[in-house]
Amino acid sequence: MHFLYFFKVYVRMMCTAKKCGIRFQPPAIILIYENEMKGKSRQRIMPVRNFSKFSDCNRAAEQLKNNPRHKNYLEQVSLRQLEKLFSFLRGYLWGQSLAETMEQIQRETTIDPEEDLNKLDDKELAKRKSIMDELFEKNQKKKDDPNFIYDIEVEFPQDEQLQSCGWDTESADEF
Amino acid sequence: MASDKAKPCELNQEKYDADDNVKIICLGDSAVGKSKLMERFLMDGFRPQQLSTYALTLYKHTATVDGKTVLVDFWDTAGQERFQSMHASYYHKAHACIMVFDVQRKVTYKNLSTWYTELREFRPEIPCIVVANKIDADIKMTQRSFNFARKFSLPLYFVSAADGTNVVKLFNDAIRLAVSYKHNSRDFMDEVLQELENFDLEQKEEEVPDRVQRGNIESPSPS
Repeated sequence: MHFLYFFKVYVRMMCTAKKCGIRFQPPAIILIYENEMKGKSRQRIMPVRNFSKFSDCNRAAEQLKNNPRHKNYLEQVSLRQLEKLFSFLRGYLWGQSLAETMEQIQRETTIDPEEDLNKLDDKELAKRKSIMDELFEKNQKKKDDPNFIYDIEVEFPQDEQLQSCGWDTESADEF
Repeated sequence: MASDKAKPCELNQEKYDADDNVKIICLGDSAVGKSKLMERFLMDGFRPQQLSTYALTLYKHTATVDGKTVLVDFWDTAGQERFQSMHASYYHKAHACIMVFDVQRKVTYKNLSTWYTELREFRPEIPCIVVANKIDADIKMTQRSFNFARKFSLPLYFVSAADGTNVVKLFNDAIRLAVSYKHNSRDFMDEVLQELENFDLEQKEEEVPDRVQRGNIESPSPS
């Protein structure tokens, strides 16, 4: 019994994810990982069950990531990547081409700089904000960071011959 | 009117007439980072009050300007900016304005003119700072000129709520401007309003001997 227990811990520590993809037919998430001990690639096939074209990709990704049988293997695979894989499957179930699905994912995970967010409802605005929050969090200097400085001042002189931002119109009346 | 009684007097804007009180308002489109800027400046010290009836979030802050304690109320929008217009009470008695756009989204820059027009309708003279936020996402934008600020001779600050660049400076300067506006230049509109209030007061005193009544028009009548 003791031996088994240690073995499990061992697997968790030594499994290095290499690639993660999706198979449409029959649907499964496939992980290529390396078991450092043996130094060779292994493949793990995780069948996707109860997923329809109406399913929520985010929820499906969360369920798989928390699945007791797979979670150790998926530790290094981000929720976002899994969600994206499920989006591919969903697109396939809707009969979309790969290009169409790619475009849709792109639309849902990036901000259209031309879009007027004032015109969106609460739900759509919250979606855009969560996309923006990702970059915010990536660039954020937090209070607990060792080199955090509360008051950072950087001068950006505006008086030189700067290139225009390109957002001003030519006419003198308008800015 | 019974429900009004339970509600604390949320927004008594009279206090902004007191010497040590200033009101600073934030303007700008949805998702330009107004609240994130507030939070970066106040850090743990912030305890925003949601005043849903007025669609605004209030941040209270205590500052020291030239050795004097100043009580600052920062007014932040809570979704009402979506209508590209704020209620008149939002501007009422404000001493300075922080007007934000997102350097990644042109539309938020273009909409500054709408915000500025509305601001000047209510507060023709108060200091206003233009803020280019999210420079962490595109640092090259700090090497560009923005005519809007130049045209109206407004100071332009390049900031990032994420990495903190110039955030503290922005707010401290805004507080300083608000205080100096309050003490030095009396707005024409302020004076007119003050005159009207005095006029009102005199009249009321004549009409209604019981002074307690004055200014309590909206409070619930005792049942």
